[in-house]
Amino acid sequence: MGAHLGRRYLWDAEAEPDPLNMPSFPAELGLPGRQPRAMVASAAQLAQARVPLEQRDFCGHHLLRLLRCQRDTFPVPWQCHPLRHRWDSCQHEDYVMRMKEFERERRLRLRQQRLRQRHGDGDGDSE
Amino acid sequence: MAAGALRGVLWPRAAAGLRAARAALAAPAGARAASEMSQDMMPGPYPRTPEERAAAAKKYNMRVEDYQPYPDDGLGYGDYPMLPNKSQYERDPWYQWDQPDMRHNWGEPMHWDFDMYIRNRVDTSPTVVPWHTMSKHFLLFLSIMLIMFGLGEIYPSYRPVGPKQYPFNDLYLEKGGDPNKKPPTVIHYEI
Repeated sequence: MGAHLGRRYLWDAEAEPDPLNMPSFPAELGLPGRQPRAMVASAAQLAQARVPLEQRDFCGHHLLRLLRCQRDTFPVPWQCHPLRHRWDSCQHEDYVMRMKEFERERRLRLRQQRLRQRHGDGDGDSE
Repeated sequence: MAAGALRGVLWPRAAAGLRAARAALAAPAGARAASEMSQDMMPGPYPRTPEERAAAAKKYNMRVEDYQPYPDDGLGYGDYPMLPNKSQYERDPWYQWDQPDMRHNWGEPMHWDFDMYIRNRVDTSPTVVPWHTMSKHFLLFLSIMLIMFGLGEIYPSYRPVGPKQYPFNDLYLEKGGDPNKKPPTVIHYEI
């Protein structure tokens, strides 16, 4: 798990993505026809349910359904397991998307480095 | 009215007379109970001559060689002996003291701060490990922890994932943004 940390702190910080400055490349680069993420629940619904800000993400609609089910079936805990699973798998997909974003950033940075080297060599040779 | 004024004068006088009679019956003025110490047993002034020192040592039940009064520099305690500043905890717990809880024998000279050195209070026992070893270990530990925490601040550890994406322009209004101003547009894409 620490390979990216070793590369960033001990090796080449230019090639490793900085999680505080992401994404640093245009969204359409290399991925033509990208769709924006769709938000199903509205801000008013999330505010009415008093969902904590950290949980008002793109899986908010699953969370709202889960909370509604838990409120309706209290104190029986096992009846909302399917909804719980749907919310959890939505969070998992979201995390996998974050990993893919990181990897995309890293590959674009490496590509940028290669282009710079190539242009650098080209200028050196032409001189 | 005259009778009332007289009554106000008479009864305190009667009470004073009664008190004096009771006191005279108990003991004459200046007397002390037999359980108290006589004047020659009380602490006295700083001993100047060797005879005074010998007399003071005898008074405190000490040998003349052991007897050492506090120095007479204006802050001394007269002829009261200067005993080592050791608490009662340092005394042998297995010896059969006359007073086991105080670890003190009858007639033994008591330290000036005896009530401070009892086992419920100040304890001057030596540490199990020498002081410089203890302080070295502690400073080593503290410095290593501080250095590691500092390194953790400069080079933080994180998972190889991008930041979490939030809708509604990164929750602009929910985080207290001005509703009258146009928020900076943030669009997140699927990948």
